Amino acid sequence: MKTLIIIRERDYVWLRTVFPDIHPLLFPICNKPFIEFLIDFSILSGSEAVRIVSDGSLIDVEEYCDNGSLWGTAISYSSIMSMDDQRAVIEKNRRFCSEEKILIISGLVFIQYDKLHDYKSLFASQPNGDLLVCNGGSLSLTGNPPKLQKNSAPLSLSLIALDSLDGYYRLCMEILGFASSPYVLPGYNNEAYCHIGRNVVISKSAEIRKPVMIGNNVQILEDSIIGPGSVIGSNVIIDRKSTVTESIVLANTYIGEQLEVQNKIAAGNMLIEPEGGICITMDDPHLLTGIKKSGSVRSLLRFLVHSFAALLLITLQLIPFLILSPILTIQGKWKKSKNIYYTGTAGETLTLTTTTIERRGFISSLAAALSLDRFTLLFSVLRGRLAVIGSSLELASDSNTTLHEVESWYHAGVFSYAEAEEWPVSGGDKAIVERYFSVHGNPFLDITMTIKAFFNRIHETNTP
Amino acid sequence: MIFHVDGSTGKKLGIAALNGRLDAKNSSELLTSFERWQQQTNLIILDCSKLDLIDSSGLGAVVSCLRKAIEKNGDLKLANLSPKVAMVFELTKAKKLFSIFTDTGSALQSF
Repeated sequence: MKTLIIIRERDYVWLRTVFPDIHPLLFPICNKPFIEFLIDFSILSGSEAVRIVSDGSLIDVEEYCDNGSLWGTAISYSSIMSMDDQRAVIEKNRRFCSEEKILIISGLVFIQYDKLHDYKSLFASQPNGDLLVCNGGSLSLTGNPPKLQKNSAPLSLSLIALDSLDGYYRLCMEILGFASSPYVLPGYNNEAYCHIGRNVVISKSAEIRKPVMIGNNVQILEDSIIGPGSVIGSNVIIDRKSTVTESIVLANTYIGEQLEVQNKIAAGNMLIEPEGGICITMDDPHLLTGIKKSGSVRSLLRFLVHSFAALLLITLQLIPFLILSPILTIQGKWKKSKNIYYTGTAGETLTLTTTTIERRGFISSLAAALSLDRFTLLFSVLRGRLAVIGSSLELASDSNTTLHEVESWYHAGVFSYAEAEEWPVSGGDKAIVERYFSVHGNPFLDITMTIKAFFNRIHETNTP
Repeated sequence: MIFHVDGSTGKKLGIAALNGRLDAKNSSELLTSFERWQQQTNLIILDCSKLDLIDSSGLGAVVSCLRKAIEKNGDLKLANLSPKVAMVFELTKAKKLFSIFTDTGSALQSF
């Protein structure tokens, strides 16, 4: 048996509008990413392999689930067109779907199952076709028909369409309140209806009222009251004298002092009333704010390696820069312009003075070959605003605001991966190579790529 | 902020219409205006129908206004809170301090 999970962008438009940075399959239901419920169910159904197909990006899901070794199953990924129906999807995944019975989970649907039930033999005896259908999607079987069909076998399953924030909120409250035992949920669970994650600091005077679910790295400060009916995500701080009741606090959120969060979803600086669909974004960090993830060891290492490379280049370029730049300025071949560029993933911008060298004559060609036009940018690397190598600098403008607020791979660099690979430095091809290295790169590979970019620029005919 | 005195209920009641944002930039303006309004009446309604956003500074100013009103044996009531502004009052527990009405008519009748 294998499982095919089909999710289309149109299934989760409602979620993307509120949470554009979280893939719906990774959206937490009681602190467990949604995809993990689907994987758990496919394993309970006897699936040896899972394929996730979508007409949207699966990069984040792929990064999270990888090849499925964490769950002891084989996970693969595939793309479909938005207009592909189920038959076309099966046809496109012919090799995966051949010679096997396939369980198809289509749409953004939550399957209410019980980890103690034997779904393997149940599905083996079920005829092909739809098993369960709801507004948001379906659960069906295809492939080899069973030898012995038992149509009357009770399914002991149900589907819930995840089609609104209210539906999501009610599902979480239901699981937390009285339906947690059928699922494997994260956290320590020494007593019923109380799941607590790792590295949780609860003040002596704080009160925890069941049912409650608390993620990892959470701080609950003095005189706070958590619960009943609260899901607190990872990396959350609940400040003094605050109350969180029948609410979901998503990861990386700070709840200020003396606040009362009741029947809400709090996420970063957003507060949502699920029933009415009202969503407010707090400008006031004293009330509610997002917690930026502390720099990981990898990002610290990346910063240190990039800073070292920048320092080395500054040392090499300093004397040529001091000698050649005034000469070229006098000759009118050293042209500066001040612009605002995107720097990182959150749409942050930085005003930079960039230089263009007109390659006419020996001195300007030498200056360009030494990449002296990038000299001043190297100081931004030391300040942690630019990478020494990354995506090519993109001008911040209204037309491409959305792109860089959403694209997590964008990280501006003094040199670009496209330059290192002698790739066209404009257009969609550039994006492909930059995206590849942003996912598969590492700080030490960046050094090699920087050297390649540096040498490749010697042959350039003009500086961009 | 537009303020006028209403005498339709037989009492001299002040109605102040707030609009836009009430935050650190203009919360002090509310405090000074409130003292001026108090010279005409101590029974005041803040009509928040056009108030889009309030932050902790704005809330602090509204609470200060309530305190000033009570100190002079008056009262301050709120009317027409938008769902978003009401959420901030609920979140900060400020809702418990105020008499909040769905419209100014109900607020006028309550005095």
